[in-house]
Amino acid sequence: MKRRERQIQSEIAYHLDRVTQNYIAQGVDPAEARRRALLEFGGATQVTEDLRDVHRSRWLADLRQDLAYAARNLRRSPGFLASAVLTLALGIGANTAIFSLIDALMLRPLPVVHDPGALVQLVRVIPGHCADCRLSYPLYEYFRDRLTSVANVFAVLDIAHSITVDGVDEEVNGDEVSGAFYAAMGVAPAAGRLLGPQDDAVPTPVAVISYDFWRRRFGCDPSAIGKTFSYATTVLTIVGVEPEGFTGIEPWRTRQFTTPLSMSDQLGGGDGSWKKQWDMNNVESMARLKPGVSMTQAKAEMEAVFGAWRTDKVRLITEGPLYRARFLQERGAVLPGLSGLNGLRVEFLRPLTILMGIVGLVLLLACANLSGLLLARAAARQREISIRRALGAGSGRLTRQFLTESLLLAAGGAAVGFGAAQWFVRVLLTMMANGDALALQAAPDWRIFGFTAAVSVLVCVLAGLAPGLSAARVTINPALKRVRAAGGHPRMGRVLVVVQLAISMTLLVGASLFIRTLQKLYHVDTGIRTGDVFLFSVSSKHHFAGARTTEIELALVDRLHSLPGVVFATAANVVPLSGGLWSRQVQPEGYTFHAGEDDSAAFNAVAPEFFGVTGTPLLLGRDFNRHDNADSPPVAIVNQRFAREFFGGRPPLGRHIVSAKTTYEIVGVVKDAKYEGLRQGVPRTVYVPWTHQDDAAGKNRSQPMGFSYMARVAGGDPLRLAPLMARAVPEIEPAMRMYYAHTLEFSIDRTTLNERMMATLGGFFGLLALIVACLGIFGILAFQVSRRINEIGVRVALGATRGNIVTLVLREVVLLLLPGCAVGAVAAAWLARFAGSLLYGVTPTDPMAFALAIGALAMATLAAGFLPAMRAARVDPMTALRCD
Amino acid sequence: MASDKSDLLQGTLDMLVLKILALAPAHGYGIAQRIQQISGEVLQVQQGSLYPALHRLEKRGWLKADWHESETGREAKFYSLTRLGRKQLDAETANWDRLAAAVELIMRTAE
Repeated sequence: MKRRERQIQSEIAYHLDRVTQNYIAQGVDPAEARRRALLEFGGATQVTEDLRDVHRSRWLADLRQDLAYAARNLRRSPGFLASAVLTLALGIGANTAIFSLIDALMLRPLPVVHDPGALVQLVRVIPGHCADCRLSYPLYEYFRDRLTSVANVFAVLDIAHSITVDGVDEEVNGDEVSGAFYAAMGVAPAAGRLLGPQDDAVPTPVAVISYDFWRRRFGCDPSAIGKTFSYATTVLTIVGVEPEGFTGIEPWRTRQFTTPLSMSDQLGGGDGSWKKQWDMNNVESMARLKPGVSMTQAKAEMEAVFGAWRTDKVRLITEGPLYRARFLQERGAVLPGLSGLNGLRVEFLRPLTILMGIVGLVLLLACANLSGLLLARAAARQREISIRRALGAGSGRLTRQFLTESLLLAAGGAAVGFGAAQWFVRVLLTMMANGDALALQAAPDWRIFGFTAAVSVLVCVLAGLAPGLSAARVTINPALKRVRAAGGHPRMGRVLVVVQLAISMTLLVGASLFIRTLQKLYHVDTGIRTGDVFLFSVSSKHHFAGARTTEIELALVDRLHSLPGVVFATAANVVPLSGGLWSRQVQPEGYTFHAGEDDSAAFNAVAPEFFGVTGTPLLLGRDFNRHDNADSPPVAIVNQRFAREFFGGRPPLGRHIVSAKTTYEIVGVVKDAKYEGLRQGVPRTVYVPWTHQDDAAGKNRSQPMGFSYMARVAGGDPLRLAPLMARAVPEIEPAMRMYYAHTLEFSIDRTTLNERMMATLGGFFGLLALIVACLGIFGILAFQVSRRINEIGVRVALGATRGNIVTLVLREVVLLLLPGCAVGAVAAAWLARFAGSLLYGVTPTDPMAFALAIGALAMATLAAGFLPAMRAARVDPMTALRCD
Repeated sequence: MASDKSDLLQGTLDMLVLKILALAPAHGYGIAQRIQQISGEVLQVQQGSLYPALHRLEKRGWLKADWHESETGREAKFYSLTRLGRKQLDAETANWDRLAAAVELIMRTAE
């Protein structure tokens, strides 16, 4: 291009020089000669531009022409333009939104971090249970000392607590990190220093704060270094500030500071024993691949190292054979750490993948719909097209014309859709946050722009190709004659409607499967009355001694009980149906476990009136009372299943259970109730009095912070108790605050996030699909009716009744509906298998779901067909026959 | 512009260029000069449209261009006819003859 430009310049210069020389030779003075030469030439700039034009590609010039033509054309039918752009915006917007989430969760590298692609997460995998299980501290050390393919192995514990800075309290999130954390991240401090290996060796009460926290609380003042804040009973000194934009390894979580992991026990009131327990899995661990080491190599080494660990530790297992078998299934794994920890990714991978499939179908549907509209327009423009053909427009050029039109529409759809996607992403993120804060960065980046662009091009081709090809086939002669001929390509139009119906059918089946899942889930008999229950937890600045603990706990329950409208008040270690489970081995009196039999039972430590709050009837014996305390003989209440399986028909009361070296006497039996969640079955359950509850290690008396306090109210909004308790808690103990005040229903809803999300979004897209399919049916029928007006006129003239005519038109709907439903049903049956684990109580081929989808589709499309049918029925035979 | 000079008929410039180049390769200035000379100073080439025409013909493959030294000793772009160009010239000549004869016929008969 550069070279051609130079050549053009020198060619013109040569010409001008020669003309000038010529005039000079004739005796004209040089300046005047030059002037005349330029004048004669007609403006060197204009000619240069003309020459450039000659070399510009033909297709570019054509494209400009096509674009102008298409724009003119579209401006002339604003209704079509609006509906086409909206349909496409819907398809493109939904795809962009879901892709934005996938991008944010899985593709976006950790900001600020050096070479995030080399980061990996070290996890345990328990098949069927978790793909990214945490590690025990000893296992982290084992990996750190043995893995050679990675460097800078570090461990992290996330903490949340209230701190006091300059006399002001604030709830904060933090990370306790081991020494290699910042080295692995490869970041430099914005001020002061970061934590390093020296902080591992000697526990020092120091903290590094985040840049945002530095700005918010200290106005980016360097003198913040050296300041202190109090965390529980410890005073931490700020030694440094993280670089701006650094998010740690969980970008979705807003965090304010890090402290050395070596400070963990001092901050949390532990005794350090957890760091020696090989099976106390509570830390996250990441590392950096050494240069030149591939992921495959790292994985292979991990297999071997974890294998050695397993062989080493399996000997230490004292629990039963089931526990041992489960441990032997454990594997070590290396996961990519580009976007930080994999927790959210693992949680949302399946729903997001399915949603991506759903919105992909929505996009296809939008394309088929637009294609149908374009086809109808092409039919209406036949005369114009054949004139252009007669004037010599090539069929390639005509096809391109249509593609240009759909390109313009796709661009419009992309612009509107991109805007809509931003809104949609916010809605989805609120949904996914599930009542918490989710600071996930989903602002558009180049990948999202690229994705949207690619989708738009796909739309353009898919939607524009059919009408373009059909235009290219227009024959000149018949169309030029003013005949209301066969018109357009009805076959292609019908195929497109069948495609739309099939896609709608698929989406509707999906929607009804997800909605029925949610329905079944919420109608399952849990044995618990979930309504009218208020619950809350407390946080505290410090721990309490044994006697004070009991005093506070009793005061909390008493105060809760005294609030207006409260019928029962209690406390429990685990809130039922909220995803928590505490399970221990048991030895029921007189029962012998056979080899391989599960010897565990679900435990819960509860206060008196627990069964009143949950609405679970006590069948035999008595509830706990205030006399069941730490000094009285240990007692327990079991559920029916426990009694049935371990004692058969014999009376359970008075029998004993041994667990964790304590012998409990059974004093009551309650009706079966679910425990962990709606999806899980009823476990064998043992309830013990809360005053007997020990911590996991069985050493420390648990703290008031370890319980959830629950109350059943007589009616009205249970949350009205929240402000009352918020005031009451600090009155009982000034170091304590109420937090997580919710209803039991809300707590259960949090466990059904994926199901609710799929039902809501599946239903939403299913409804949209239905609307789009109706529009498609309406369009094609209206078109056909107008085409068959003569024929209908003849029929009416020959004595057809209105009913006959309506039936005639609606028969068309049925003819389209049958193949549409059939294809859609097959596709849905095949696709629904992928949703398997997200379903509950329905099989992927649930006949009810398919029947619902067919019913909805049939009713909606027949309704859509009714309007054109009525129009056909009102045809006046005289007018119809006179018309051409 | 003097009244005894005529502008070129639309579409004939291409043909004239091909014809001139059929005689010998030339640069743009030379082509303009020669058209003027041969037509006895009757035809005036619009220099501004000559060069785009040359480039267009080159792009169509009817002309090819080389840079070499001109009579003044300076490098200039010389155009020459390709085989395709020669064929095109034949076609245009035949066409021209027919057109000229037809115009002639009308002019005479209508007198």
